[in-house]
Amino acid sequence: MRPFIYTPTSTVSAATQKLKANPHAKYLAGGTNLLDLMKEDVEKPTELVDITRLVLTEVKAITTGVNKGGITIGALGKNTDTANHPLIRQNFPLLTQSILAGASAQIRNMASNGGNLNQRTRCPYFYETSMPCNKREPGSGCGALEGINRMHAIFGWSQACVAVHPSDMCVALAALDAVVKVQGADGKERSIPFTDYHRLPGDTPQKDNTLNPGELITSIEIPINNFANTSYYLKVRDRASYAFALISVAAGVELEGTRIKQAKIALGGVAHKPWRALEAEKFLIGKEATEANFKQAAELEMKSAKPLEHNEFKIELGKRAITRALMQAMTGGKA
Amino acid sequence: MSEVKNVGQAINRIDGIVKVTGTATYATDYILKNTAHAVIFKSTIAAGKITKMDTTDAEKSAGVLAVITHKNAPKLNAKGGIRGGALLQSPDIEFYGQHIGVVVAETFEQARYAAKLVKVTYEKGEAKVDFAKHAKEAVLPKEEEKADAIRGDVESAFNNAEFKMEAVYETPIEHHNPMEPHSTIAFWEGEKVTLYNGSQIVNGAQTAAAATLNIKPENVRIVTPHIGGGFGSKGGQWANLVLTAVAAKTVNRPVKLALTRQQMFNSVGLRQKNQQKIRLAATKDGKLTALAHETTTHSAINNEFVEPCGDCSKVMYETPNSLISYRVVPMNIILPTYTRGPGKSTGSFALESAMDELAYQLKIDPIEFRIKNEPAKDPSNGKPWSSRTTVQCLQEGAKAFGWEKRKMEPRQQEQGEYLIGYGVACGSYPARQRDTSAIVKLSRKGSDVKATIELAASDLGTGTHTIIAQTASDALGIPIKNITVHIGDSSLPPAAGSVGSVGAASFANAVNDACNKITDELLAKSGKQFFARPTAASLMVSENIAEFQTRMDAKPPADADQYSAHSFNANFAEVWVNKYTGMVRVPRFLAVTGAGKILNPKTARSQIIGGCVWGIGMALTEESILDPRWGNFVTRSLAEYHVPSNLDIGKIETIFINEIDTKPNTLGVKGIGEVGIVGVAGAVANAIFNATGKRVRELPITPDKLL
Ligand SMILES: Cc1cc2nc3c(=O)[nH]c(=O)nc-3n(C[C@H](O)[C@H](O)[C@H](O)COP(=O)(O)OP(=O)(O)OC[C@H]3O[C@@H](n4cnc5c(N)ncnc54)[C@H](O)[C@@H]3O)c2cc1C
Ligand code: SF4
Repeated sequence: MRPFIYTPTSTVSAATQKLKANPHAKYLAGGTNLLDLMKEDVEKPTELVDITRLVLTEVKAITTGVNKGGITIGALGKNTDTANHPLIRQNFPLLTQSILAGASAQIRNMASNGGNLNQRTRCPYFYETSMPCNKREPGSGCGALEGINRMHAIFGWSQACVAVHPSDMCVALAALDAVVKVQGADGKERSIPFTDYHRLPGDTPQKDNTLNPGELITSIEIPINNFANTSYYLKVRDRASYAFALISVAAGVELEGTRIKQAKIALGGVAHKPWRALEAEKFLIGKEATEANFKQAAELEMKSAKPLEHNEFKIELGKRAITRALMQAMTGGKA
Repeated sequence: MSEVKNVGQAINRIDGIVKVTGTATYATDYILKNTAHAVIFKSTIAAGKITKMDTTDAEKSAGVLAVITHKNAPKLNAKGGIRGGALLQSPDIEFYGQHIGVVVAETFEQARYAAKLVKVTYEKGEAKVDFAKHAKEAVLPKEEEKADAIRGDVESAFNNAEFKMEAVYETPIEHHNPMEPHSTIAFWEGEKVTLYNGSQIVNGAQTAAAATLNIKPENVRIVTPHIGGGFGSKGGQWANLVLTAVAAKTVNRPVKLALTRQQMFNSVGLRQKNQQKIRLAATKDGKLTALAHETTTHSAINNEFVEPCGDCSKVMYETPNSLISYRVVPMNIILPTYTRGPGKSTGSFALESAMDELAYQLKIDPIEFRIKNEPAKDPSNGKPWSSRTTVQCLQEGAKAFGWEKRKMEPRQQEQGEYLIGYGVACGSYPARQRDTSAIVKLSRKGSDVKATIELAASDLGTGTHTIIAQTASDALGIPIKNITVHIGDSSLPPAAGSVGSVGAASFANAVNDACNKITDELLAKSGKQFFARPTAASLMVSENIAEFQTRMDAKPPADADQYSAHSFNANFAEVWVNKYTGMVRVPRFLAVTGAGKILNPKTARSQIIGGCVWGIGMALTEESILDPRWGNFVTRSLAEYHVPSNLDIGKIETIFINEIDTKPNTLGVKGIGEVGIVGVAGAVANAIFNATGKRVRELPITPDKLL
């Protein structure tokens, strides 16, 4: 391991100041992603600013402002605690399901909510430092574009990068219209709508998200919705547990009588960011909640997919997964 | 004196306590003063030559004691028996991830960091890494056993048959991935080197290390009392073992070298990719008339290993016409090696899928079809079976599993979003005893007699310690708690390895023979006649002997090879396939095994369950994927190389056929480590066909293949 400085901090401003002072420093939360990447020599920070002591762990109801009725979850809350919090289990079961579909119990016990947002892709060429990878080493080429890309993107990729964002939690947060609260060294807070938080690779795949250098995620806000009982997270993967998604779908359906008032659908494992299925959502407004309609919505959404050499199956799988997730959502997964 | 017989009892492992309390010493658990740490670094091309290697920065890096490369490594004997080359003897590169150097430093982290500072310049050669592209260049293997085995005339039988099937089955590269990565501590005392190292074959590791290091075998001591799994990858030894010795010699200190999980994928062999073409022909009433099993595979560029995929096809079914063949193409991929159920697990997937396909075509129940083709003697060599339990396994299994509920036609059973199917597949694995020596030492205090059993056996975590103690306990009349089992050390009497399912038979028979011998010797010493044969324990007491010992060099029965001896099994799988997502569950699996005398039903059951889990992994999840351009594995950790997780495995039941077969060896032990995986993948694949109507001939059966 490359030598690095370890700096514990206990306040947001101290932490952000540290990162301002050293552009090669990184925040250390649960370390389940960052430390692995350091051992593999992919991430090479010269300083780790330990933020695990920041008191940003709470899950609480929002009682004022535009998001009144929603909840806010601290960036340093553990994935396990967040998933199991009664407020979340009751009001946002979609989030609970998505977190519990990810990683393993041991990893979720360590992993923080902020770290989950900022975890890096699982593209094997990104990890293998002898391989070309524009994300790891801009300009070196993309190993996956014409390589083994079964796990890679079908939406929004560029010639520079075809990686997918690996998170499950983030897929649910995208469907839930969450907002990411961040703070920089200047003490100013920003609110970033979740769907704008992660980005598409374009020519700069080294940038996973729209966070400015040194900014710290402090919390994530989730507005109240009317589909707590009609939502579902479906994850299709190569083994039953402890595998990243081939495709995942977070679906919430708000009904008015038998008709759909609005549907929120996000896909994982298909793009450089959690992919909001806007085509499908648009189609479903005002429609009857039938399998046929769900299927048509899924077909519409997958029309613009552009598969790579090894992942064409994701188109058919995507159609089925969207349809199935919406069907399951109708009963809150109890079917 | 103990009256209770221990052999055949489901007793707990005697090494259980040290394992669950964390005090069992695995290779790198030994704490030696002043130990330095070594890290291997590897090539980043698959073929070519190192033209320049700049180690200056690495050597100057903090804590570094030595950087060993082909430029300064001592001369080693590449033909000494270490598998897979990579001994730092030349600048030539034969596969991606070949070892090209070792950094030794005060700490592991310093060594790992310094390894990154080595600058290597290559001249790239043309790498053969794309099997699909090179398969057609495959040639007849050099190994005699892989010559074409032809009986009768398969071609005309096949061409003239009314019912026949032909298909190609593909199995991917797999990796053993034992929990304990390969790791070694080496330290020298003058000319002698001690190597703490997980070794399935203790004496084999000793001779290979000695020959490769150009020293005498008696100057090498291998110590390996506990092994965290091996599955074949610790059968032969690989370069990391001798490079640790080289490193220790270079820095004149004890050195510890543990491969990382990522390094495991191109350091210690693999199960090769196989393309198996099967042709079967049968009469209308289901008698096989032809069986052809033609395997195409790859091996290392300069070294040949071919998994015997056709083995099961040689012995499982009666057919007048048969062809077993192999073709192999040398490639720039690390040398393949033995992997659990070598050849039989992959080969049986092809054969048993094909049998299922033809049974369906004939509209004959697949169990009945197999029974119809049961051979009276070994079809490959005409030898009588020592015993054969295939039919019994099938029939008892069918009853226990509820096979009568299975429908011939696929897609007949549904529940919610799942399609449900049943599948069956058989397997076999040869039963052998190998030469093994053992020393029994008895000591007595008052009426308390204790025994120590010594032999260079190994325990992969399978229960070797325990079955040795059970056998000795019965044979000596000494309770298990008074028996010490001392194994895993090459300074002990030479023993067979824990490989090829020979371990239990070889160790137990040798220990049994040694215990009988010591009893005979004590009897002779007493000079008395006894009405009933006394135990060694009672003789020690009655003759007032304080200490006594003997050594036995045990061999298999002289006429053992007049018989064809195998363990046999039948596997039953119930699968649930998600109609929408293609995800497969195996809520229920049954393995019925005829493996002769079961020394310990508890450890035996664990072995079979392990085999089933491996087989389910082979069927559904496990695959190592190479980049066909560069030869690197893109599945490079346990996050991408999917062994089944707990949630993937449902209920696994095991039944052992009550069988006495003393032809292969005195105790009638036939071995279970390998047979447990044989037939498992076939049963799962057949169940998936029964559930979905889809025949997947390419493993693993991931969700995308079932859409
Ligand atoms: C084997 C394995 C399997 C996994 N499987 C899955 C899976 O199936 N699904 C899934 O969703 N996830 C999976 N994960 C990923 C896991 O969820 C993430 O590793 C975890 O969420 C990261 O959180 P952490 O707190 O450990 O982050 P760290 O490793 O500490 O940090 C990750 C990154 O986030 C940055 N960071 C952390 N906190 C903040 C903050 N508050 N503000 C700004 N930057 C911050 C760090 O600087 C670092 O760059 C898996 C992980 C492993 C190792
Ligand atoms: S897909 Fe992205 S992360 Fe993967 S190799 Fe290409 S640039 Fe790197």
